[in-house]
Amino acid sequence: MVPVFVLLTIGLPWLGALLVWWVGNNHPRLQVSAAVFFSVTAGIASLALLFDTSSKAIISVPLGGVFGDFTLIPDGLGVFLAAIATVIGSLAVIFSIDYMRGEAQLGRYYALVLFFIGGMAGLVLSGSLLFVFVFWEITALCSYALISFHNDDPKAVAGGIKALIITQVGGIGLLAGALLAYTTLGTYEISAVLEKSTTLPPALLSFLAFGFLAAAAAKSAQFPFHTWLPDAMEAPTPVSALIHAATMVNAGVYLLARFYPAFAPVPGWKLAVMIVGATSAILAAMMALVAYDLKRLLAYSTISQLGYMVYAIGAGGVFASQFHLLSHAIFKALLFLAAGSVIHAVGTRDMRQMGGLGPKMPLVRATFIIGGLALAGLPILNGFWSKELVLESGLTGGPLWLYLIMVLGAGLTALYTFRGVWLVFYGKPRSTLHAHDAQPAMRIALVPLAAGALISWLAAGPFSQMLAATLPFHKIEASSTLHIAEQVVSEPSTLVALLVIALGLSVWWQRQHLTGLVTTFKGVQNAAIQNFGFETINNSITRAVKNTGEALRTTQTGLLSWNVLGILAGLAIILIILAWGV
Amino acid sequence: MTFSAANVVAVGVLGLLGVGFYGLLATRNLIKVVVALQILVKSAILGLILAGYLRGQVVLGASLAITVIVADTIVAVIGLALAVQVRRKFGTLDLRSLSTLRR
Amino acid sequence: MVGVMVVVIVGAIFCALQSMRANRLLVSALWLAGTSALVALAIFVMGAPEVAVIELSVGAGLVTVLFVFAINVAGEEPIKLKPLVPRPLSIGLVALSILLLGWMGMPGLLSILQLNVTFSLPSAADFTRAFWEQRSLDVVAQIVLVFAGVLGVLGLLSDTETAGGSSEETQK
Repeated sequence: MVPVFVLLTIGLPWLGALLVWWVGNNHPRLQVSAAVFFSVTAGIASLALLFDTSSKAIISVPLGGVFGDFTLIPDGLGVFLAAIATVIGSLAVIFSIDYMRGEAQLGRYYALVLFFIGGMAGLVLSGSLLFVFVFWEITALCSYALISFHNDDPKAVAGGIKALIITQVGGIGLLAGALLAYTTLGTYEISAVLEKSTTLPPALLSFLAFGFLAAAAAKSAQFPFHTWLPDAMEAPTPVSALIHAATMVNAGVYLLARFYPAFAPVPGWKLAVMIVGATSAILAAMMALVAYDLKRLLAYSTISQLGYMVYAIGAGGVFASQFHLLSHAIFKALLFLAAGSVIHAVGTRDMRQMGGLGPKMPLVRATFIIGGLALAGLPILNGFWSKELVLESGLTGGPLWLYLIMVLGAGLTALYTFRGVWLVFYGKPRSTLHAHDAQPAMRIALVPLAAGALISWLAAGPFSQMLAATLPFHKIEASSTLHIAEQVVSEPSTLVALLVIALGLSVWWQRQHLTGLVTTFKGVQNAAIQNFGFETINNSITRAVKNTGEALRTTQTGLLSWNVLGILAGLAIILIILAWGV
Repeated sequence: MTFSAANVVAVGVLGLLGVGFYGLLATRNLIKVVVALQILVKSAILGLILAGYLRGQVVLGASLAITVIVADTIVAVIGLALAVQVRRKFGTLDLRSLSTLRR
Repeated sequence: MVGVMVVVIVGAIFCALQSMRANRLLVSALWLAGTSALVALAIFVMGAPEVAVIELSVGAGLVTVLFVFAINVAGEEPIKLKPLVPRPLSIGLVALSILLLGWMGMPGLLSILQLNVTFSLPSAADFTRAFWEQRSLDVVAQIVLVFAGVLGVLGLLSDTETAGGSSEETQK
């Protein structure tokens, strides 16, 4: 049965994508029903997989000597991420029913979303590095196409192209790593790379380790590649919730977690990972503090929380990192979808024009606050347990100064979350916006996610047992939810973190009395608004790629004669090389 | 130095290959492109038969050659059908005026 | 036999060159038919009569008919157009590739001299077995290809049959 479920998890969304595209835009009801049906059934298939994980390849298709085998491995890490992709994917599709109603070209929208869901499931279930790369590129393509969904809006197109180019940096790194592993080990199998990592030459291993770190940073919007994510917020909000909060941006974290056993012995790698994570966490938190665009605020917060996951991996807490990934996927999808309801109702993303929306949309307010409290890390929501686990593993596995930075980041997180909630739902209305509460399909998506943010931490025990049972190289300790909870509560660092979080909240309460402090940090604020200058780095990469493409276009004449000339020249070059070699 | 028949055939294979490639490079007419492709494939057929003899697997070479002939005929049919439709739709067979890529 | 082969091969290359040099499409197609017939003759001399017969009937016959038909439908147009690739460049590159190929194949070609292969006819039963049994996948592929060919012929024919359709499109 397991192979069937694995294939259904990847295949159903893709089948649905084809069908939605085939149905066409003239039958919107059928189109939407098909999208919902296929995403929900894929979600059910992936949930069924959770009960039958294994570390063995369940499907293996030999593809000859050059490509290795195409294998699908339903191990704990892969299945849990596939479940996140398909379940949150189906909720995002359901949310889109109301959010995207009346938009043009919905066939393209739903087909791409479904294509993405299948691609993401394939990425995490694939056991071959080469196919991880293929699925990685599929997700990047869907991300680009969905950011630029409103392709008559130049900002959306620019944001999409930027996201595509920057995440390609990661794709190239991954491909180079796969090929290097193949040339030395003769296989693309991830398990073989983990098994034989000690036999690799140290220089090669460290090249792989840092290459994959760069790849992961680009994909997961980590420092210094973090600026593509805020620009990706031009996408329709359900897409932001699915791709740019819950799933695709986790691919980098997944990659690091997957290869942690192989790279951990590389000198300096763990520290580098922790520094990347901590820098992203603290810089993005500061930028979130000064953002006025509701979706950009959430994007910065996503970068920051991804920084926590990366940091945890560097500190050796693979379980803590993946557990935080689960919590974050749930509460951040919830926050994005709730924000989507707000944006849909009032028609703007600028928080300066909102305010006092709470009474008009009580359900959205309630769910947004649940998500916000989970993000801030207040007990007993899921974000609390996982963030405490991350900080704890940082304290035991990393230097103290990085731990302190992360605790400060937790305080800032509470501060900007509270600021966002206040600006949107409380205070006096700052403009005469017409607002209404969430529509039925939106409610169907919001309520389960809010429930998840409240109770998903109860799965900590089974989750750790699943990871421990199916990841032989990671040495994860299986334990029970009760034990993990006890461990978190009894740790003094929890108290420290809670105190800092409370401090963050009180800073917002007392903001009128702290004007002196605010003016002191004016410089920091301005720098944060300017993205600390990293915008220029990323923009110059984007521009360089675009200019190269423009320059290379002259070689693509589309004329047969020149193409044949190219083929012949290639033949001649190969022959010359062969003649030389003989 | 004497040449055996096999050497002559080998020269023929190379010669037809060269003429076919030259045709693809020099022609701008869609139908003539199909002619050039035909010449290239003749070279391939001859080469297959020759290789079959040199390797002592005559029948294998022959059966592959037949597959190639069939494929090649279909290529010609579809290429010509395309050319006819293109001519009808765009009024020209000149590759250059058919190209719509921005340069 | 070498003499016969020299005449046939030189003739085939000459016909191919002529078909590329011809300025009228119809002439070009006829020279191609000549090439095809001579290649078929070469194959026959090499002792593969089945292939030779198919090449002669399909390559020289059917394809030529199709060419004439297509040129008839599409119409002659002056093809004295300047090549897009400079002529010396294309000649040079083709010559380079062919010479390199020949040079790379030289050891093999020289060994043929020592081997002194003589072409002989295999039995028809061998060929039948090889074609229908050992290469059954090819046969399936050919059947698929023939279907594609039927569609192609329909594409060729649709021009004359749907003359009304074309005028409709021009009206749009």
